Amino acid sequence: MFVDYYKIDDLLADEDKLLRDSLRKFLEDNIKPLIKQAWHKQEKLDFRTIAKQFGELGILGSFIEEKYNCPGATYTTYGIVCQEVERIDSALRSFVAVNTGLVMYPIWRYGSENQKMKFLPKLASGEKIGCYGLTEPDAGSDPSSMKTTAKKIKDKWVLNGSKMWITEAEIADVAIVWAKDADDGKVKGFIVEKGTPGFYQKDLEELGSMRAGGVGELAFTDCAIPLENRLPNIEGLKGPFSCLNMARYGISWGAIGASMDCFETALSYSLDRKQFGEPIASYQLVQEKLANMITEITKAQLVSLRLSQLLNENKATPAQISLAKRNNVRTARFCAHTAREILGANGISLDYSPIRHMANIESVYTYEGTDDMHTLIIGRDITGIEAFRKK
Amino acid sequence: MNILVCIKQVPDMESKFKISSDGQWYEQSDLTFKINEYDEYAIEEAVRLKEKLGSAEVVALSIGPERTKEAIRKALAIGADKGVHIHDDESHKKDSFQIATIIASYAKDKNFDIIFLGMQSQDRASAQVGPILSELLGYNCITTIVSFEYQDGKVNVKRELEGGIKAKVSAKLPVVLTCQLGLNTVRYPTLPNIMKAKKKELITINVNELLNEQPRVINLKAYIPEKKKGGIILEGKSDEVADKLISILKEKTQVLR
Ligand SMILES: Cc1cc2nc3c(=O)[nH]c(=O)nc-3n(C[C@H](O)[C@H](O)[C@H](O)COP(=O)(O)OP(=O)(O)OC[C@H]3O[C@@H](n4cnc5c(N)ncnc54)[C@H](O)[C@@H]3O)c2cc1C
Repeated sequence: MFVDYYKIDDLLADEDKLLRDSLRKFLEDNIKPLIKQAWHKQEKLDFRTIAKQFGELGILGSFIEEKYNCPGATYTTYGIVCQEVERIDSALRSFVAVNTGLVMYPIWRYGSENQKMKFLPKLASGEKIGCYGLTEPDAGSDPSSMKTTAKKIKDKWVLNGSKMWITEAEIADVAIVWAKDADDGKVKGFIVEKGTPGFYQKDLEELGSMRAGGVGELAFTDCAIPLENRLPNIEGLKGPFSCLNMARYGISWGAIGASMDCFETALSYSLDRKQFGEPIASYQLVQEKLANMITEITKAQLVSLRLSQLLNENKATPAQISLAKRNNVRTARFCAHTAREILGANGISLDYSPIRHMANIESVYTYEGTDDMHTLIIGRDITGIEAFRKK
Repeated sequence: MNILVCIKQVPDMESKFKISSDGQWYEQSDLTFKINEYDEYAIEEAVRLKEKLGSAEVVALSIGPERTKEAIRKALAIGADKGVHIHDDESHKKDSFQIATIIASYAKDKNFDIIFLGMQSQDRASAQVGPILSELLGYNCITTIVSFEYQDGKVNVKRELEGGIKAKVSAKLPVVLTCQLGLNTVRYPTLPNIMKAKKKELITINVNELLNEQPRVINLKAYIPEKKKGGIILEGKSDEVADKLISILKEKTQVLR
């Protein structure tokens, strides 16, 4: 069954529908059965294997061209991929959006031809996994306050500092790291490879969200990398921000996936579950909840689909992307707790997905720009007045 | 080698069906369509054979309205080389003889060596198209295959018979084969292959160019049967109930013998 109240399917290209069905079947056959235990025990899914499976399906770096062993599809296709993986679990979408939007995208946009040829094909095939280091213990919403530095010493860049809350921190073979040039104070991007002396990677334990995936910290102590590992074609904060746009866009679709799963679960549960002699779906209060969910989901679908068209035509603005991320993650948060509510006590059992989505979505609400930050980005865009910081 | 695969688009069998207004079939609007399950095995087997031989062409053919192209695209994404869409908005009204005639008139001068079809369609379930097609073309025919091998101009297959028995059968080319569940596991079409499929040739032929036959079997009425009464409730002491249950399972199912 598809959650498609407005026949939005009719607006999708045949290949996107084909991919959606194929990917959905793959995920339901192979990954869905593993999620509950992984989440419950906080034993991360085997992302080495999953990366290769995703690589074979061709869903990593989906909008990058064939030259780099990527499929050369549209931004809509990338959106569909995010939707389907997050329909299973947000950690899977984190993996896809980080690798595609935050690792492959900056190499593709700002890297040298050598860097592209060296890294993109292996990231696309899942042979290598990437992570993205922007956030620091003391620099979250305000990355301009970052403390990590890079200093050019002879034929090396030497990094010092630490990054926190990094998706796939421990497993990553390739880290895109943003640091301030100790000499000119400008933010620059670097590619740091696993095993480089002075590069430390560790996942966090005891989390209450994203328990099926890895989130951790990176640390650099006199970590020297070759000069050619700097992303040559970017300087300043617009580098990290432009990557965030790609991941935020993916999140807007992913949030639809999580919402769909919550809606489907709540709808079928409410039709089966009888109280006071009738299915609970027959009571007006429950119907209102379901009607609100499908309404919000439909709006979210239309927002993301239109945004994908704007991206395909190279017309999307960062504030439009913020609107989609903010709206759709709110939708997912609403659908997750509403579904949880409709399921009653079963709603707190991991036998059903809503409580897991509900906990995951708290991360999604905060990362890639908190809900507040997106409010302020939209506010600045429509008023022309920045409200992020006090003078 | 020339291989033809015939596929049909059928509704998702989990859909809620309604009877159409003429009372003869089900209402098609509001349904989600997909490739008939048995036909997916046919495509997969054809593509595997092609991959094994290294040089072969697989043509995927489907009869139906515009949406049928989606099914052909999927076949192309799995690995077929060329698609043939026989445009027919009334394909659901055609009987097996007409459908087989359409395929035969397309295939007659194309020298296909092997034609793979599903054992039956999930919506009509007559299981006749393959055998009639083989008669029209003068090909050998083997139905309900669950394993397949090609060697030196011959196909060696296993067929599934009733009661858990299988049979090994072999036939010379050209041959029509109908595929049964268990033949293979269909691959997941990958995004790069889906993108490639977009560029593969897909021709459309109007059904009137291929068919000049009236139906021989007419569907008079389609209806949703009345719900059967609930199952049997066994009552009594637990050992008696267990004995009754065992005897029912022995008589009516193959769970116990
Ligand atoms: C599971 C997970 C994975 C992550 N993965 C990555 C990753 O791969 N790479 C990476 O670089 N980062 C990652 N992050 C970090 C994430 O991007 C940050 O957590 C996020 O940017 C917010 O920063 P913070 O947590 O420091 O919160 P803060 O910036 O400290 O914000 C705390 C609260 O204050 C509010 N606030 C802050 N400033 C203002 C203001 N000016 N006006 C109004 N309200 C304000 C915020 O909205 C928020 O509610 C991840 C986070 C999580 C939870």
